[in-house]
Formats: sequence, C-alpha cells, structure tokens
Amino acid sequence: MPCSTNQELICYLDKEGGSSQMKGNNAVKFIVVIAVIAILTWIAATGPTIFGQKLKGMWDINKGVDIRGGVRATLSAPNGTKPTSDQMDTLKAIIRNRLDSSNIFDAQITPERNNTRLSIEIPWAQNEKDYDPQKLINKTIQTALLTFRYVDEKKKDANNQYLPLEDVKDKNGKIITKNIILQGNDIKGAGVETNTQTGKIDVTLQLDAAGTKKFAVATAKLAPTHGIIAIFMDEKLISYPGVNTEIPDGNAIIEGNFTTSEAKDLAATIRSGALPFKLNILQVDSISSLLGENAFNVSVIAMGVALLLVWVFMLVKYRLMGILANIALLAHTVIQVLFISWMGISVTLPGIAGIILTIGMGVDANIIIFERIKEELRSGKTLRASVDVGFKRAFTAVFDANMTTLISAVILYMFNSGPIKSFAITLIVGVVLSFLTAVIVSRIMLKSVIDIDIAKHPWLYGVTLKAKEPKEVKA
Amino acid sequence: MIDFMGKKFYFFGLSLLLITIGIIVFFVNGGPNGGFNLDIQFQGGTIVQIQTTDKNFSIPKAESIILKAIKKKATVQTIETLNQKQGGKLYFMSISVSSKDTLVNEEQTTMLNALKADSSMHIKKIKPELIVNNVQPSIGAEILKNGIYAIIISSLLIIIYIWIRFSVLSGPSAGVMAILALLHDILLMLSVYAVFRIKLNEAFIAAVLTVIGYSMNDTIIIYDRIRENSKLIRRTAIAELVNKSITQTLNRSINTVVTVLICIVTVFLFAAYNNITSITEFTAPLIIGLTSGCYSSIFIASPLWVMWKESQYKRQIAASKSKSVKPARAKG
Repeated sequence: MPCSTNQELICYLDKEGGSSQMKGNNAVKFIVVIAVIAILTWIAATGPTIFGQKLKGMWDINKGVDIRGGVRATLSAPNGTKPTSDQMDTLKAIIRNRLDSSNIFDAQITPERNNTRLSIEIPWAQNEKDYDPQKLINKTIQTALLTFRYVDEKKKDANNQYLPLEDVKDKNGKIITKNIILQGNDIKGAGVETNTQTGKIDVTLQLDAAGTKKFAVATAKLAPTHGIIAIFMDEKLISYPGVNTEIPDGNAIIEGNFTTSEAKDLAATIRSGALPFKLNILQVDSISSLLGENAFNVSVIAMGVALLLVWVFMLVKYRLMGILANIALLAHTVIQVLFISWMGISVTLPGIAGIILTIGMGVDANIIIFERIKEELRSGKTLRASVDVGFKRAFTAVFDANMTTLISAVILYMFNSGPIKSFAITLIVGVVLSFLTAVIVSRIMLKSVIDIDIAKHPWLYGVTLKAKEPKEVKA
Repeated sequence: MIDFMGKKFYFFGLSLLLITIGIIVFFVNGGPNGGFNLDIQFQGGTIVQIQTTDKNFSIPKAESIILKAIKKKATVQTIETLNQKQGGKLYFMSISVSSKDTLVNEEQTTMLNALKADSSMHIKKIKPELIVNNVQPSIGAEILKNGIYAIIISSLLIIIYIWIRFSVLSGPSAGVMAILALLHDILLMLSVYAVFRIKLNEAFIAAVLTVIGYSMNDTIIIYDRIRENSKLIRRTAIAELVNKSITQTLNRSINTVVTVLICIVTVFLFAAYNNITSITEFTAPLIIGLTSGCYSSIFIASPLWVMWKESQYKRQIAASKSKSVKPARAKG
C-alpha cells in the first residue's frame, strides 16, 4: 500500500493509470461539457434568434392567470336543456382534458351552484398578439360535436354541401327516422394515419361496442347503393365518404384534405371526449392579473439570489468540488427552465417558487456524493480512489432516493389533472435532471480535474487531515 | 457517535406536542370547515362584478375596504369587456369571496356602498351594473379524491420498493416506518395551516406533494447507510448500528436540507417584502414541511424502526428461551 502514511495522503498512485492520452481525453470532455452548459445558459437568458429560428428563453415562459391575466368565459347548456350534475362533471373533465393536452394546466373551471353554467379562466399565451378573448376561448374550447349522419342527396346548401339532418321525432320524442348514425360518445379512440394509396392524411377512428354495431348496420344498409355517410363537426361538413362494403370491425376513417397538424388536432379533440351537449358561450371577458408582471420579476430576482446563495454555500463547504457542483447546478436549472419554456407549460407564482425549490434540491445528490468522497479521503485513500469509491458508494443512496421521488411523481401525473399534473411534470423533469447533472456531469468534470497536479491539495476538497489518525475498519 | 436512540422519547414528545397543538386549534376554531380556512376553489363562494368607470383602482385598497365592510376576505380583479350595444369597453371590479354560504343581499349592499364611498374606486355612480354569481368549488371532490388515491398508491409502491431494495433491513417494516415519518410531516404541515389560518387552495396541494416527494430522500440516505453498515459490522446491537449510521450521514442530512431551505427562505423573504401573498402562503408551510422531513427521518423513522426490530427480537427470544440472551442483531 503506497498510501499508508497519512502525510502522503494524496499520493501519485493514479499516475500509473493516467497516461497523457487519457488526460487529453478528459480535458476534451470537460471543455465540451462546459461549452454545452454555456450555450444552454445563453439561450435561456436571452432567448436568441438563430438562423431565423426563435429559441424560447426564460422570458418567454407562459405565465399563469395570476401573473399575466387572461380570459374568463361563461359557458352554458343550450336553452331548455337541464344538465344533470353528472353531465356537468363530465363536461368539466372533458374541458380540463382539452386544456391539459394544450399544456394549459392552471386554468380554473368553476361550475355554478345552480348547475347550468360553467365559468373558465384561461391565461394569455406569452406570445399572444391580438389579445382577442373570443378567439382564445374558441381556440381552447372547441365546442364541436362530431356526428356521422345519413344525408339527403337533394338537400344541399348554397355551396353545394350536404346539410346535417337531425333525427326526426314524433311528439312523444320517439325517433321515427334516424339520421344520426354515430356521435362523439360512440368513439373509443382516434389517431392519424397517412393513406398509403392517396398519400393523404386521414383521421382514424376506433368505435366502441355500441358504435361498432350501429356503424355495421348503417354500412350494411348503404353498401348496396354506395350511399353516403356525411361526417360533421357541429354543422360543418368534414367529409362524405361513399360506402362500398359493410364495415363490421368498428374501424372508420375520416378523409378530408387535412394537413398533419389539422388531422392531429381533430384526433385530439375527438379523443379528449365527446361533449354531452353543445355548449353556448354566454360571455367572454378579459381579466387582469392579480399581481401583475412585477410579481414575476420579483420571483426571477429571488431565483437569482437563491442560486447565488446556494453557490456560495457549496463553494464554502466543498471548495473545488463545490465549483463543479455549481456548474452542474447551473446546467440543471437552465435545462429545467428551457423545458418549461419549450413545452409551453404555463407557470403560476407558486409554480415559480417550486422551480426555485428544485435549485436547492438539485445539489442534494452532489452533497451526498461529496460527503462520501470526503469520508473516503479522511479514511486514507488516494484522491483518485476516493472519487471513484465516493461516486460508487453514494450511487445507491442517490439512486434509491431519486427512485422513490420518481415513483410519487409518476403516480401523481397519472392520477391527476390541471395544476397538479403540471407540478408532477416539473417534479419528474427535476428528478431526472438532478440525477443526470449531479451524477454524470459532475463526475465527468471531477474526473478531469483531479488529473491536474495543483488540484490535488486536500484543502481543495474541504478535508483537514489530522496527523496520525487510527484507521477505522472502513466507513 | 451521538446517541440518538437513547433520547428518542424526547423527540417523539416534541412532535406529538406540536401536532396536538394543531389538532386543538383545529377543533377550537371549529366552524363548518373544521379548523381550516378553505379558499374559494375548495368551498365555492360568491363572485360579484360591479361596473366601474375606469380600470385604474388600487386592488389592495379595494380588498381592505371590503374586509372592513363585511368582515370577509375578498380577492379583487379588474375585468374589461367589449360593450356589445354601444361599442367601446366596459370595466368591472370582480370580487371573489369564499364561503360555504353565499353572500346575502345586505352584505352585497354594504359592500357596494362602502366601495362607492371611496371615489378612487371609480364605481359607476348611477345604476352600476351588478352581476352576482354563486359558484361551486372548482377543486371538486374529484380532484381531492384523486390526490388522496395518488398518495395512497405511491405510499404502497414506496413501501414495496424499500422492501425490495433494503431487504437487509428485513422486510416491509423499514418502508412502513418511512411512510409513518411522512405522515408525521404532513400532520405538522396541516397544523401550520390550521394555526396560522392559511388559505387551503391549489398551492396547498402542491406544497404537501413537494414534502411527500422530498422528505423521503433523507430517510433513504440513512437507510442506505444502515444497509451498508449492516453488511460490514454484524456484531452490533441495532440501536448502536443506527446511531452510528445517523452520525455518519448527519452532515449530508443537514447540508441537503440547508440548500433547500436557503432557496425557499429566500423566496419567502422576497415575497413577504413585496407583499405577494400567494407565494408566502405557499412557502411558509413548505419551510415547516421540509424541515420536518429532515427531522423526522432522523428522530422518527429510524427510532421507530429500531423499536420495531428490538421488540421483534424480544419476541423471538421469548419464543425460544433456550437461546442465550444476546443484543439484537442487524441481521437475524
């Protein structure tokens, strides 16, 4: 054992393993890591335009209603309909689903006490240009009701389009002539597919058991005459395929010169559920923020100060290793901010507080690892051995701690909607990032740095070596 | 080595005391919601819109006028909407008051008169339009139910995970104790909400979830060291093994929570200075919860586990008296 004397703790055993080529390799890795982090930080701080492509930075993050204001709309069931409270719940859930799928997590959906109206609040998007409340509501809450109907070939409008036929009922409400074949609630799933023959983009539908049956009956009836089934969103005709054969398996296709994004939007609208009835938009107002953008600026300053304080703490406690952890922490914070910005997730003030909190949590893994390295150094190992063993032994603690957090975050994501879902996403990203930056990024950096001779003094690692310490039996 | 196990009952006592205070305050405050101050999202309430001639009125001032007039805390916002008939814009002051019951007519009138009395509120003098909506909770029973399901399921999964990964700590007991410590943290947080009458809203859910996600980490750090030590040193009493493990990991237990507290306290101070209540109300319980998370892993989860193991061992000895009396082992 070349390192048995404590005075020579940092012995040069590692030189044997470290050829000059190895050192060069590590230096390259180090520089690449630093460069990547620098570029990401620059993007996050300035939100630059590169080659005509605007990259979103921290100032482009979507802000919640509390910071930015937004739109409040009152929606109601059509006159004469008396929705049950179950239907109102369904309605609420569907609207929530649709908002979730456009990453608007902080919208408020409030049913009124007499159960006929629903009021919703949606924040303005960060890149909103015209601030038209009506447009925002129309965009986010498509009230469209999807129907498949029989058509009367003679009844067409001025543009030579088929008109949607309603079911004909007698005065007791019994259906005499059925014109609606399928409705949104007969549909189980929807997707997008490129038709291999025509090259066009279609929306594919999977029907549920009842829908499959209805569709089979209708197609069987229409097939001999090559009759037409018209597909409407509300009153708008989307496509009117002719029926050639009976379709008994519950798979239907909507063809209609869609662009990819149109098809995806339509599929998403259908998937998010069928509204139990068509909604009327009664009133649309724009509302002010509760606190204004100033509150956002204050939070950003608080974030800067918090980051600085953590940096100082890490520097004082872990010296050289602290500097590396600080670089890794910067990477963690910047990537988290960019993720939120790029995904278009809207953050509320407590949301920002949550992001700041992850700065403090981000260095946890590094603290665990560094404490371990210090412990190994004190027990008389070489620097290189201590770093290796430190990372290896601390790994299980870091891994298990992150796994348990990840378990709760994923379950939260699966079980919830709205603001809690957005919280869960932030948490999942935070945990994964902290693991990657603290374990991988700081490891690469630390391993390159310990090859430099002047970086080998124990003081740099926050370790004071006592003279002649009786060796403990490990740990 | 610090003797954490020997003093465990002091720590149990302290925690019980704090939680009991919370429970007492909860019942003394009483009321239809128990001792919690539920926000409009949780219990519904009334939203009143009053027409104004201008949108530039001071929101904090409006809130304080309403508080004086009807003794209820309101949230005020400005609303502007297009005038459908005459063109141009209409301005409204929107006042949300959370309460189990709706605002009665006299309260609405008192509030309106108080606001009218202050000219800087720009309330329209002649026939101001008044829209009153009684709303249901927007965080319905559904969301609360889902939240609780999520907590239960993730607790079970964590117990199973710890059971598998920490099989050296023998069986599900370690996981169960970790979850008990978590429960302790949540109870402490709830006490803070009850004692300081902080409004329960979405931020509350987020705060509790943060603590759940985070405070498990500290427990895992200690368990991890117990796991490692129990492989190295077998001939030690469990209490001693745990004492040793906690002492060895004490630095990291403290430092990890310090960095988190640095951040959250900074945010709290900034928000308090700038009067941003939504942040102070979110961060204050978090400070308690996160501190408690660190505290409970050292002083609650580990001692409880030791007690469990020791009683298990005593039962084993009682069952087979033929064996000679030895201190409890880490592995057995």
